[in-house]
Amino acid sequence: MLPEQGGPVELKALVQNQNRCTACGACAALCPYIYAVREKVAVIYPCGLAEGNCYRVCPRTPTDLGELDRRVFGAPRTDHVLGEHSAIYFSRARDSEIGARAQYGGTVTALLAFLLQQGRIDAALAVRGNGAALPEPAVAATAEDLLACAGSKYSACPSLSALPQAVREGRRRLAVVGRPCQVTALRKMQGLAQEQQFSRLPAAKLDLFVIGLFCFWALTPGFYGFLAEKAGPEEIWKVDIPVEGLKITFTSGKELLVPVDEARPFIRPACPECFDPTAELADVSVGSTEYDPAWNTLVVRTAAGRALVEEARAAGVIELRPYPEERLPILRRAAFNKKLRVLNTQTGDGYLRLSGEYREQLLRQGGNNG
Amino acid sequence: MSITGVRTDQPGQAVLLTGNEAVARGALEAGVGFASSYPGSPTAEVLSILGRLAAEFNLYAEWSINEIVALEGAAAASFAGVRALAVMKPDGLNVAADFLTTLSMSGTGSGLVIFVGDDPHAHSSIKEEDSRYLARLAHVPVLEPATVAEAKEMVKAAFELSETLQHPVIVRGVTRICHASGKVTLGELPPRKKKPFFGKDQRFLTDPGAVAIYHQRQEEKLRRAAEMGEEMPFNRYEGPAGAELLVIGCGPAFLYAREAVEILGLTDRAGLLKLGLTWPLPEKLVLGRLRSAKKVIFAEEIEPVLEENVISLAARHWPAVGKLSFYGKSSGHVAGPGGPGIGELNVDIMVKALAAVAGLPVPEPAAPELIAGEGAASPAQGPPPFAPVPVIDRELAFCPGCPHRASFWAVRAALELDGRHGFVTGDIGCYTLGLGRTGYYLLRTAHCMGASVGVASGLSKLARLGFSQPVVAMIGDSTFFHAAVPALIDARYNQARFLCVVLDNGTTAMTGHQPHPGMGVNAMGEKVPAVAIEEVVAGLGIPFTIQDPYDIKTTTRVVYDLLQQNRLHVLVLRRECALVAARKTKKARVYVDQERCLGDACGCMRFCSRVFSCPACIWDAGAGKARIDETICTGCGVCAANCPQQAIIVEGVE
Amino acid sequence: MAEQITDQTINVIIAGVGGQGNVLASQIVAGAAVKEGLTVAVGETFGASQRGGSVMSHVRITRGREIGPLIPRGKADLVAALEPMECLRVLRVFGNKETRVIMNEHPNYPISVLQGSTAYPSLDDLKAEIGKLARLILSFAATDVARQAGSPVAANVVLTGALAGTGLLPITLDSYRRTITELFTDQAARELNLKAFDLGVREIRDLNKI
Repeated sequence: MLPEQGGPVELKALVQNQNRCTACGACAALCPYIYAVREKVAVIYPCGLAEGNCYRVCPRTPTDLGELDRRVFGAPRTDHVLGEHSAIYFSRARDSEIGARAQYGGTVTALLAFLLQQGRIDAALAVRGNGAALPEPAVAATAEDLLACAGSKYSACPSLSALPQAVREGRRRLAVVGRPCQVTALRKMQGLAQEQQFSRLPAAKLDLFVIGLFCFWALTPGFYGFLAEKAGPEEIWKVDIPVEGLKITFTSGKELLVPVDEARPFIRPACPECFDPTAELADVSVGSTEYDPAWNTLVVRTAAGRALVEEARAAGVIELRPYPEERLPILRRAAFNKKLRVLNTQTGDGYLRLSGEYREQLLRQGGNNG
Repeated sequence: MSITGVRTDQPGQAVLLTGNEAVARGALEAGVGFASSYPGSPTAEVLSILGRLAAEFNLYAEWSINEIVALEGAAAASFAGVRALAVMKPDGLNVAADFLTTLSMSGTGSGLVIFVGDDPHAHSSIKEEDSRYLARLAHVPVLEPATVAEAKEMVKAAFELSETLQHPVIVRGVTRICHASGKVTLGELPPRKKKPFFGKDQRFLTDPGAVAIYHQRQEEKLRRAAEMGEEMPFNRYEGPAGAELLVIGCGPAFLYAREAVEILGLTDRAGLLKLGLTWPLPEKLVLGRLRSAKKVIFAEEIEPVLEENVISLAARHWPAVGKLSFYGKSSGHVAGPGGPGIGELNVDIMVKALAAVAGLPVPEPAAPELIAGEGAASPAQGPPPFAPVPVIDRELAFCPGCPHRASFWAVRAALELDGRHGFVTGDIGCYTLGLGRTGYYLLRTAHCMGASVGVASGLSKLARLGFSQPVVAMIGDSTFFHAAVPALIDARYNQARFLCVVLDNGTTAMTGHQPHPGMGVNAMGEKVPAVAIEEVVAGLGIPFTIQDPYDIKTTTRVVYDLLQQNRLHVLVLRRECALVAARKTKKARVYVDQERCLGDACGCMRFCSRVFSCPACIWDAGAGKARIDETICTGCGVCAANCPQQAIIVEGVE
Repeated sequence: MAEQITDQTINVIIAGVGGQGNVLASQIVAGAAVKEGLTVAVGETFGASQRGGSVMSHVRITRGREIGPLIPRGKADLVAALEPMECLRVLRVFGNKETRVIMNEHPNYPISVLQGSTAYPSLDDLKAEIGKLARLILSFAATDVARQAGSPVAANVVLTGALAGTGLLPITLDSYRRTITELFTDQAARELNLKAFDLGVREIRDLNKI
């Protein structure tokens, strides 16, 4: 049973040691007793506190989704399947260099570059790597830094652990790109930071814009060994997991398609518990289209998100298309099915705290959709 | 503590010397031409001094890779006609034992003396070992000085004895000789030595076909040594003729006993037999005193070696010596707070023992109960007698800025991140302190020089039986050269899988910064080619990585990554000893930004001062915030990396 | 000047913390005693103790034959302490009603105090307690005096000067100074230490007048 309040002892015993850690890196960002290395996060020394912020910010400790909605959007959600949003688009970067480096449409990189160029952020907290090796957190302050972060990564980089680095470097206005679990942790941290006694949390010192990524699961670092084995002597240039399977592109130009089932054993054990595949608490969420690799799905959620998307479009940074009417049920079904699996398997030690009303609405909206 | 006294050429002048200086001076007065050692407390200063004086006195001095090589080198010099001194602590004598036991068969040429410094109470050792048992096993005579002055005379006499017998001789000091000081009267310094030559007819052999002959020769040499001991000035009797209460003692313990006799007013009743040659026993001398005695009490440190030998002698001669009662460690009478044979002796312990044997009350305030714990009463005895003003124990810790602190933290972090119940095997050096708070209680085994590697290797080989915990061996640079290499060859050959972390601080720090093969300088201060640890490792075909432990986050990641590889790897954590660095580099300024530090409101639970616990990270109770003690801070800046508020500021030096 | 101790054997303990320079202080006192033709035995503990542990030097000065280097319990005639709590620690084991104390008031905090798990007693409490155990206590901030001499590290030599300045030991100031001169071959270090010694002598004589 997950207690409502806890500290490092509970975090270690009930999350980290139970393979429920999503490697978001939030706890490590707060605390000298918790380290995040590669894709492992661990309490490395007992601090002696019975209750701690490490436990409070964790996306796998008790999480009241209704309360988080109210905090981010000021009201209960209307869409229980995709989360609160004002619009959904197909989008892509207009910059050809970004497009070439990006996995799909390059929307995330384009938005970040726009923010940087406009001087509206000091840096972006993102993840560096080409998808074929362990990625590393990056505090990207230049367009060049950003390009090194373009492209999808399929494992769970605990990039939030680099928040203190941003604070240390004085980069207070920050865009954070994160997986849904990371967005949840960040929102929890912001919530705490509003309380007087936690005004020292990094989130309180930072002005944050949050770009969430669609994520149905992440893979463990063991995946990279698997990739290397598949690659043999070839050098991997890019990895992609479209609908048809795992596609490895080599620098030689050759491609290799591996059935996605072969990668399944590497799914991070924490991921099947995830209730939020589309980063519902972000300012905007971005994912693939599962349809046209030149485009992204862009979900506009908060007012800040709305404003940015409008300005970026007006400035010619991104290009938007209406989300195809016929594709929407597919996206909704995928998101709902993931939620339903979690609801059906949630046991007494689950982390979700959902009101009866919330649950009812979800089942109703998802059912209608299905 | 002054080399001046050791080198002064003014026979008859009285100077203050430490025991180690007196040993060096004795060797010089004996015309020593070759001296070798591996640094070990309490004897480390002997070779340091001889190394510094090597050019002036036309001798060769070396810090050897380990004690067996030191002894082999010294024996070689002896074979070639050069008087030689090998210096070590008992742990080192163990290392040299294989050679020693054969050397005493082959015999020696010019005088060969081994000075061994035993460490009762283990002030700076991992154990309190009595080297006399090993000496006896090796058929080697033992001389034991009672004072610093006698140490010098005895070393000279030991060279003579060795040369007469053509046999190695051990001089056994204890910490209270080596690290004591006393008035020493200087003797003559001999003229220059003759050229070494290994004579055409000289043979120093052992022979599997003639073991009996060699063994007979050993026994014969011991018999001759015992005979010579009857006349040695180091063996003498004081006190009334025909005393029924006889004290037999050696080393400083003899002086403690003599003072105890005076304190108890037993001067007229008790006889004092001081033995300088404690093995083999000068039997006639001892028997002569046993004949008149009724009660015999022993004063010697660590094991009851003298006691057992005297009792055995008395048993062989029981019709002549008559009824005797023996008091010592075997009877439990001579015992400090820890028990018989445990810890050092002192006057108080001897007063208590003698009083019990003589049937006298123990005079106040000589009861020694508090000496070992210095005021630490056990819970069963209730509160300590001086409750109002506490005297707080001083725990040993890594020095401010010590790179080991960073290394231990990073390894601990990596093992926790790894999460497979990995652990660390320890070794001998400053970093042995890592078994306690200063090293975050990381060490799970600690034995002898090099054992971290062999034990880690052995554990990892259990993989075939299902063992799956990662194992990390942590060993220092000097210890690596001394004892790690054979175990690493074994590890590669027998496919062990563990991480060997070499804590390379560029010196032999624990014993006072003596040079080692990696440093490019020798005992005589000459520049020599350095042996790089990574070259040795590469030569063994073992992959290695070099990392600066001051970068804690990177070091943690490097260790973590290496743990994931599950194979044999050597990680050299290289950063100069903070004590050495402090002497030469300008330090950065490190301070706590009092605005940023939130004190107890932070939630870090005083991480820097309480947990990371560098002595320079202070909790300022008045301000309720952390503070850096800038008088002892070395400016390493390692603490800054862990502060969750980034409140520790490092102002670098370009 | 205090009255010279006239016992056959005079037992002096120099107490401090590893790194404070106990050994040097004991070498100066013992070396000076040898210059006076006296017999000395010094027992030190060093090695592991360098790393922040309590250290103690026993200096036994005798007009008679050689004695062992360890002072029996309760038999210290004189305690020179480089640190107040170490002074109390030593007195409780080796002190007696006749023991004279010369003490540096500058505290050196144990790790457990720095970590906040124990509290260091106040100087007043320490002095009161020491006063109960000893016949005479002369204390001053030797570390500050050492700073005047050029380095706070020279507190050990300042305290040695203070010890010499009391006149409790049968050793002339000249013998101490000659010993310091011999111990330091480096000119700058020699001058610094001679200055520290003289400041210590002056300090204790000023203190003694009051």
